[in-house]
Amino acid sequence: MKQFIYILLISFLLFGASCTKDEECRKNRYVNMEIGLYHVSFNAATQVNVKSILSIDSLTLRGINVDASGNESLVDSILYNNIKSVNKLILPLNKIKEQSKYLVQFNQVMDTITVFHKNTEYYLSLECGCIKTFSIDTVLTTNNFIDSIRITNHTVDNNNAEHLQIYN
Amino acid sequence: MRSTYKYIISLLLLFCVISVRAQEKKDSTELAKTKLLKGITFQADIASLVGSFLSKGETYSTEGGVQIDINNKFYPIVELGFGGANKLSADNIGFKTNGLFGRIGVDINLLKKKKDAKPSNNLFLAGARIGVTSFSYDVTNVSITDNYWGGTEIFNYQNQSATKVWFEIVAGVRVEVFKNIYMGWTVRNKNLLNQDKEGKLSSWYVPGFGINASGNWGISYTLGYRF
Repeated sequence: MKQFIYILLISFLLFGASCTKDEECRKNRYVNMEIGLYHVSFNAATQVNVKSILSIDSLTLRGINVDASGNESLVDSILYNNIKSVNKLILPLNKIKEQSKYLVQFNQVMDTITVFHKNTEYYLSLECGCIKTFSIDTVLTTNNFIDSIRITNHTVDNNNAEHLQIYN
Repeated sequence: MRSTYKYIISLLLLFCVISVRAQEKKDSTELAKTKLLKGITFQADIASLVGSFLSKGETYSTEGGVQIDINNKFYPIVELGFGGANKLSADNIGFKTNGLFGRIGVDINLLKKKKDAKPSNNLFLAGARIGVTSFSYDVTNVSITDNYWGGTEIFNYQNQSATKVWFEIVAGVRVEVFKNIYMGWTVRNKNLLNQDKEGKLSSWYVPGFGINASGNWGISYTLGYRF
């Protein structure tokens, strides 16, 4: 009978240990599109184009909401508000609609960037819930400051990567 | 169910063959006296019931098993049970499941029997199990809110089905507390063999296995009657 009591004690001890639960989300839930800014200059001496990182002295950026009938309105909150020395943009894509449009002011010059993307639900766990991942289809820009734009990585998920490159 | 029977029978036959071979070396007249099937134990698990009570219905499970004693050495076992969960996450995501599960395996008694001594009724067992369950689950009220662009989407995933297979390494003790009444506990190290892909809607709980992770610990506290 003594043996039996020991067994009982040990089993309940183990029970207590197995009851500690972890209900916090420990996965990365941030999904952002990253754009690198570059400048290409022609080196006359070596006769090749040289690509270098472009740093913008002052950059202001905010989203433009486009409704079903095509009316545009600026998003209230500003993502980059007169930020100095910017060489990289980290932007949220629209999780609900499959189009994200931004108004960017490079120093004094304005441009818009429109990104068309496919949205996919990506389930992490019961603690973390669901996130949206994106697949970039097309990118359109105006060419006031921007010379060209290149998609380097179509998939935008919770891993950090550069997705677009803007050339001046 | 049919394949389960087949499995038990083939397992039994296998052990018979092994035991018979071992016996043959000793004495052929002794073989006639030796009965391989020493007993059959029906047991119920109490730990899972206590666990269900402690979790206040968030997870619940109940199980029982039948174990055969072959020559006081090998103990093939079949365990069957029913488990489920009904949980609300911190972000109000609802999760609900329930389903039947089964395990099959064998234990080996590690206590050495002294020669000519009466076999002890107390056992120290180590063994392995293969567990399987097929169940359906609901994940409801999964919301995605866009804090910048605005807007919210809510998803409800009903009647998702899954089949899970896992492997267990077990160790435990059985003590005869009264005549033919056995009590004991078993510690289980569970390893899921088919894990969900990242990003796929996965079940938070797997009946018989527990909370869905690559590995899991479990404990059974069994009460059994031996015939």
